[in-house]
Amino acid sequence: MTGPSQKATRWVIASLSFAMAPQLVKMPIPLVIMTLLPLMWRIGAEIRGWKPLPALVRHGATALALLALYFSYGSIAGRRAAISLLTVMLALKLIESYRIRDARLIVSFSLFLCTTQFMFNQGILMPIYGVFTIIMVLVTLTQLHRNEAYFAFDETPPVSVSLFSELGFSFRLLMLAIPVGLAFFLFFPRWVTPLWGIPEATLDAKSGLSDSMSPGSIQNLFMDDSPAFRVVFDGRIPQPSDLYWRGPVFWDFNGRTWRGGFYGKNLGVASQPEANEAPWTYTVQLEPNERHWLFALDYPATRPRHSRITIDFQILRRLPVTQLLQYSMVSDPVFVDSPELGVTLKNSALDLPVDSNPRTRKLIERWKSEGLDGQAMVRRVLTHFNTEEFHYSLDSPLLGRHSVDEFLFDTRTGYCEHYASAFTVMMRMAGIPSRIVTGYQGGWYNEIGQYLLVRQSDAHAWSEVWFPDQGWTRVDPTAAVSPLRIARGSLSAIPAPRHLLDYSWLRSFRNGVDIVQQRWNDWVIKFSADSQARMFSSFGLERLTPSMLVATLFVVIGLFSFLLLPFILRVKGPDRKDPLRAVWLKFLQRLKTVGFEALPSRGPIELAHSAAIQLPRDSRSIHHIADLYSRSRYSGTPPPLRQLKDAIKDFHPKKNTG
Amino acid sequence: MKREFKLSELKELNRELLATEGCHARLLEAQETVNGILLGKDQQVRLSFCCLLSRGHLLIEDVPGVGKTTLALAMARVIGIDYQRIQFTSDLLPADILGVSIYKRDKEEFEFHPGPIFAQVILVDEINRASPKTQSALLEGMAENQVTIENTTHPLPEPFFVVATQNPLDLVGTFPLPESQLDRFLLSFSLGYPDPVAERELLTTEERSRMLDRTTPLLTSQDIKALQKDCEEVHVSDDLLDYVQALLKETRDDRWFETGLSPRAGLYLLRASRANAFLEGRDYVTPEDVKIIFPSLARHRLSPSSGFAQSADEQIAELLDQVSIP
Repeated sequence: MTGPSQKATRWVIASLSFAMAPQLVKMPIPLVIMTLLPLMWRIGAEIRGWKPLPALVRHGATALALLALYFSYGSIAGRRAAISLLTVMLALKLIESYRIRDARLIVSFSLFLCTTQFMFNQGILMPIYGVFTIIMVLVTLTQLHRNEAYFAFDETPPVSVSLFSELGFSFRLLMLAIPVGLAFFLFFPRWVTPLWGIPEATLDAKSGLSDSMSPGSIQNLFMDDSPAFRVVFDGRIPQPSDLYWRGPVFWDFNGRTWRGGFYGKNLGVASQPEANEAPWTYTVQLEPNERHWLFALDYPATRPRHSRITIDFQILRRLPVTQLLQYSMVSDPVFVDSPELGVTLKNSALDLPVDSNPRTRKLIERWKSEGLDGQAMVRRVLTHFNTEEFHYSLDSPLLGRHSVDEFLFDTRTGYCEHYASAFTVMMRMAGIPSRIVTGYQGGWYNEIGQYLLVRQSDAHAWSEVWFPDQGWTRVDPTAAVSPLRIARGSLSAIPAPRHLLDYSWLRSFRNGVDIVQQRWNDWVIKFSADSQARMFSSFGLERLTPSMLVATLFVVIGLFSFLLLPFILRVKGPDRKDPLRAVWLKFLQRLKTVGFEALPSRGPIELAHSAAIQLPRDSRSIHHIADLYSRSRYSGTPPPLRQLKDAIKDFHPKKNTG
Repeated sequence: MKREFKLSELKELNRELLATEGCHARLLEAQETVNGILLGKDQQVRLSFCCLLSRGHLLIEDVPGVGKTTLALAMARVIGIDYQRIQFTSDLLPADILGVSIYKRDKEEFEFHPGPIFAQVILVDEINRASPKTQSALLEGMAENQVTIENTTHPLPEPFFVVATQNPLDLVGTFPLPESQLDRFLLSFSLGYPDPVAERELLTTEERSRMLDRTTPLLTSQDIKALQKDCEEVHVSDDLLDYVQALLKETRDDRWFETGLSPRAGLYLLRASRANAFLEGRDYVTPEDVKIIFPSLARHRLSPSSGFAQSADEQIAELLDQVSIP
């Protein structure tokens, strides 16, 4: 029988489960079942000693898993499907693995599975989890290796190694790998976009603001606490009321949904503020969201690389953001956006679906007949929101065809998008060109890290109205209803917790801990082909070819290995520190304190004799201990170590003064 | 390894165990008796018994009159087996110790008359006086436990225990044993003069020879064979083997001796240490056992490197102090 020991088998199952867990969360239900069933069966087999399954069942299960995979993904190509295939097959491999070779295969693949997590998530938690998994895998491999050694020499295991030293050994192995890993990180040739960075629309859902806005879309974002981006300010930090991060801008309204206008998307910006007069300089670190928008404060004076600025000051990147992206911006808030507006744009900023929202139209007509116009109308509408019974709440009922009517006159409860939408429609009815801007508002300033963290839950929608000479002017109707929302952030506006784990202390804890993620992004994720090239050019090496990089890599690894060789040679395997020896040394130490020096060439009994002569009062316990030690060390049936330990614990020799 | 015993086996085992227990007690009594005759020489007596139990032979080096013969005689007495004494002289021939074949006229054939070597305990007095040829004849027999005379091989009795004495001072007309032949002796020691107390007792109490006459055998040859077998069962741990190997390695360092101890010497060392542990009533060997045996095992096998004023004995004591115990 050349199977792994029971203990090793359990380790194999445990490390595979650890490696699979992050994948399982994202897999379709049928595949999760197909993965968990073999795993459960194997655990049961270990505990209850079930017999191996017949071949028919095993092959049947494999075929079933392939079918489930095909129907879940439509094909078995693509990174998600391929990794699911690996996961399911590894789990199925468990039910037919009874040999060390198979166990080793499973464990090695677990290691591979563990690294595939990084194709989907590059957050800080994954590497930490990965380290745990790798240590488990290393422990398992050590166990398997030891098993094999026993079979080769046909011996039973001579020592039982404690879990602690087992883990310690794996940890040390991992430590040894760090320099090599670091060398690969720094020197391995990098692609400008990662191999898996090609956006696959069918895969992971995009996150963040989208290219349309209908009632409820921002409300959904409010539930999402994941970071949208981080900002480091160079110099002055704007007031919370100035922190409007501009994203998608919408012109077209069909009565329910707002969409970006044709011109807004396709015309380039006519003029930008002067960069050297702009007061706000900052760097944005945008989390991957698979979308094109880059966010900036009003009004961007510079343009990030590979992007364009539209006429409504959206910054659009040529390729979607699939990786952490960092860009520097300069913004000037006092810039006048479009003092003159062309007829086409004006018309699209006034366009409304016909025969919609008659009650609102009637209200506006009434105000108009009262002689209100322009700025006065804006104030009147805001006053209306402020003085009438309007609520800022998440629990807004669904709205029907005349959404603005229902909102203004019936429900009177809504989130920022309801207010922005209603306000913009009312402005257009009053003949004032207006549009909707979505983006983020506010953020949480991390004092230690000195950066502003903006979460998805900070998503916001507001309006812009156009007046001749003043250009487009921001008007935030939400501020009229809930000034707190703007001053203190989205979460303070809603008193009720959003979900079960939503407490303010937990939120501030999470905000504080975000600094770890930020540093991780700064030091690790951000390191791209560009950074690599920059690193080399700082040494005077420009444009290294990939083969030169690989050569450098191996030179560096060779150098590291040479330096580490003495240390590597010292790693001998799980520590088999002799506990007996340690206890005995303690005894010798006690003797030393009363002036008895033990020669290393003295046997325990010999030593006890001379010690007893010097310390006659303790002679009995000395002899007793020496005898116990001698028996533990040299006899075929050693007494329990406990006995010796206790004897030495009670041994307190007194100096012989007489 | 756990082993299941049948009831009958267990009973058998128990009986053997009881027999051995009795044997062991009588062995200790025998040792005490010899101690009583040879006063103040406990250490040497212990070594002699170790030598007997580990199927080795003993070489005693000392001046005349310190009790070499008495020791050998006392040993022979208490272990109750038949005893021969051969006084080696320069004209002694191999046939004198091995035996001769004499032609018997009435039977018309040669008949073998075994020599004194066909005893169980042999005291060879002044072994370095005989010619090398005779010495070899004896030593061959000691090594192989059989003698071959005229194409016939005669096995020697068991147990077979040779105690040889030699006088290191009297060098005129002697043939010193070569090192290869000294290797046949498991242990060697010198007796030395007795300490004053023991000497006084020796002078005042009755004559040793009369005491010897009164001594009755305590062990049979069967007993000795059983005890020798038991000695082999004494446990030797890995740590102890480490120590033995460290000692052997140290002797091979040329700052001590010209040549080191052979692996065979190592085997002998273990065997004798087991016997010492057994005499102490332990079923495992400790470094102390090894340290007791080591000097007498090494002293006739090692000669100090040239340039050392110290004797082999002093060198060995120093070496033991250098090797630390694992």
